[in-house]
Amino acid sequence: MLFTGVDIGGTNTDIAIVDGGVLTRKVPNDAGLKRALDSLEIRGRLAVSTSQPLNRLVTGRPSSVHSITIPGPGLPSPGSVAGMVNHRGDVLEEIDPAAIRAVLEEQVSEYLAICGKFSVRNPALEEQVKAIALSYYPPGRVATSHGLARLGFPARRVTTEVNARILEIVAEMTRTISPYARDFLFFKGDGGLTSAGAVLQNPSVLFNSSPAAVALGARYLSGRSDCLVVDIGGTTTDLVPLYNGAPRMQDIRIDGNITFIRSIQVVNIPFGGDSVIETDLCPRREGNPMAFGGVRPTLTDALNCCGASIGDATRSRSMDPAIAEQAVREYISGVSEEVHASGAEIIVGTGYLAGHLIPEISREAGVRCIIPEHADCANAIGVAVSRVSLSLWVHMDTGKGRMVINGDLMRIDQDMDDDELIAWCKEEVRRRAVEMGAPEEDVADVSLEYFHAYDVVRYGRRTERIADLQVSIAPGITVDAE
Amino acid sequence: MTTGIVYHTEFLAHEQHPLHPERRERLAYTDDQITEEGLWEDPRIVRLDPRYASREELSRVHDEHYLDFLEQSSRTGGVIDLDTLIPPGLFTQARLAAGGSLVAGESVLAGVVRNAFAMVRPPGHHAGTYSGAGFCYLNNIAIMVQSLKNLGCRRILILDWDAHHGNGTQEIFYEDPDVLFTSIHQSPFYPGTGDVTEIGAGEGRGYTINMPVPAGSSDEVYQYLLSEVIVPVAKEFKPDFIAISAGQDNHFSDPLTGLALTAKGYASMMASAVGIADQECAGRLAAILEGGYSVEGGLPYTNIGIIAALAGMNLSNIRDPSSYEPLLQQARDPAALSRVEAMVGRIRETHGDVWSCLS
Repeated sequence: MLFTGVDIGGTNTDIAIVDGGVLTRKVPNDAGLKRALDSLEIRGRLAVSTSQPLNRLVTGRPSSVHSITIPGPGLPSPGSVAGMVNHRGDVLEEIDPAAIRAVLEEQVSEYLAICGKFSVRNPALEEQVKAIALSYYPPGRVATSHGLARLGFPARRVTTEVNARILEIVAEMTRTISPYARDFLFFKGDGGLTSAGAVLQNPSVLFNSSPAAVALGARYLSGRSDCLVVDIGGTTTDLVPLYNGAPRMQDIRIDGNITFIRSIQVVNIPFGGDSVIETDLCPRREGNPMAFGGVRPTLTDALNCCGASIGDATRSRSMDPAIAEQAVREYISGVSEEVHASGAEIIVGTGYLAGHLIPEISREAGVRCIIPEHADCANAIGVAVSRVSLSLWVHMDTGKGRMVINGDLMRIDQDMDDDELIAWCKEEVRRRAVEMGAPEEDVADVSLEYFHAYDVVRYGRRTERIADLQVSIAPGITVDAE
Repeated sequence: MTTGIVYHTEFLAHEQHPLHPERRERLAYTDDQITEEGLWEDPRIVRLDPRYASREELSRVHDEHYLDFLEQSSRTGGVIDLDTLIPPGLFTQARLAAGGSLVAGESVLAGVVRNAFAMVRPPGHHAGTYSGAGFCYLNNIAIMVQSLKNLGCRRILILDWDAHHGNGTQEIFYEDPDVLFTSIHQSPFYPGTGDVTEIGAGEGRGYTINMPVPAGSSDEVYQYLLSEVIVPVAKEFKPDFIAISAGQDNHFSDPLTGLALTAKGYASMMASAVGIADQECAGRLAAILEGGYSVEGGLPYTNIGIIAALAGMNLSNIRDPSSYEPLLQQARDPAALSRVEAMVGRIRETHGDVWSCLS
């Protein structure tokens, strides 16, 4: 099998082609995504990680997003309109279309997020509000919350606002990439792959995927499942611990608000190869190192002054050698302290400068180190060798004859007992993953993450059954690349 | 400061039998509602894990023979009464509910949280010293109150607003002047006790205040009793802890009772209780779940109201679905208030010599 992985970073796009051997390439982002894709002959499966542009959107200047919420009874929420879905997924109060039109006419903004309480049990009211909103907004600028699948209205609301802001740019990227490979896959922040169609339902899954890509690439290249990955980038150094081959995951917060955006746990040290050196090492980037045509001395230039030859090393020599040595020492001791504090026994170094800095960091921290071949493109390699990961959040209600899977409603006409339901859901998640392009071997293991079921009793009789469950195919390395 | 919620999925495990009104379905919808409201992630809420109450903690309230009986019957299954079967494993589950209540009290007293709500099952307030009854096995709130006394609380006010009279709790503290037991309950109704004339005995005379209310009593009745009886008496008693038997079977949609309280009514009642606690005892208050059988239509809304009031959240949107309005009108009896006013007159007669605010 052949795999092509693309990771669009802050300044460069890294490309890796894996087919037993590994071919890697770096293309500057200035030329645009299309030029980067033009520059390679895409072979085999194409997977793309695009976290950098999205990270900027998520963490950067807030563009104007208007939220319409349908909270029903309970805690109030900003932007609320009439309407109510209850915990069983019944619509108990209808929306008021005229009031919604009035709100839309009054509140003009760039993007619209629509979030109703219990919409993951019945998306009808969100869909009705969206239908009205499409007279005021283009479809690419309206996001709804039910596709987020999980209970947790405040987190869904914030995540939907993020989705409203990034939906259009993700759609545009999809249009750019698909002519090169119609069935290309996106690489997610949890380290797994998914289809473009699924991403357009919930584009926030793309957030912060680069560290996950590095972690997976480091595991693939080093063969180590339990280690600390130390990735030295241009602006930051990221420490990612791996346990049984997987990083730890968490839901990120935005401005203190919990979201449903999954991201791996990373220790972020604000220094990297492009960090500027004044008298000390500074936690910021101001263009390229001098060795790559920049004007300010950086950590990379300091390494050149200490004997390395990275880029055009002669251009780095204008630095004061004493300051250069001091800056390198400062960096190494800072990172080794964090490595030591992590309790790791072995580190895997990645990134462009790994070979120059990791051995010294490992010595000072007193841990072993591995710097695998192609360590500078571990991110793109991680993207290339990843596999489809997928979760289904299922709510079954026999009394209502309804099943909701990831926010989509379907009718059920025959009752299933608990074992039948679990088996059906496991098969369904496999079917969906294979449809996205996963080989059968990758979907063999489906885990039941959660199961809860109970009977509804009326007038002393068991009349209905309600079940909630989650089944998942975990991220990892595709069998075909192992 | 934060509100602690004691909750564990083990609280769903207890079932006398699958069709019993006090069944695992009771808290499932509430859990959904709390999760959907994002309360488990809210910085104002802390989830507290229960523990198992020790034999010694149970013995402070219950007779050793009764505890032996309960423990032994739980191995194979047994019967207390027709409403209160002992399914295998019951003793362990009941000890967890009692321990959950202990955690609520201890966490408040230690200042870990400002106040707390123990969403425990099975309930406890019908269980007396010598026997369980009415779905109850161990008296959770009494076990918590005894423990708080051991930890140094001198005066504790119990407010039992479950639709049924808390006869077990009343019996346990009937002669104790350090525990003021107040109860609002439907009358006539199960268990048949809780008349105005039951006022306590010995040193505890006057420290039991029963407020029986007729079917159809709604929000205005409860607010009236708070302002006419409970708040003035609380001010005079000066408790250093308030314990609430927070039954939710007085909701107008409850299938087993005839009262007509709304979700908003619950929230304002709890807000009033929090207000008394703030004034009298630095906010120290723990609520223990008792009954409540409108599992699907009522509990999700009343529980959110109670939690929001405890946590000082915005209560403006706490309400029942608007489609319930006809049901409320059916359940509510506007004439109830005048009968309750007369009942309060009788309380003044029976308690006026002990409480100057009632004389």
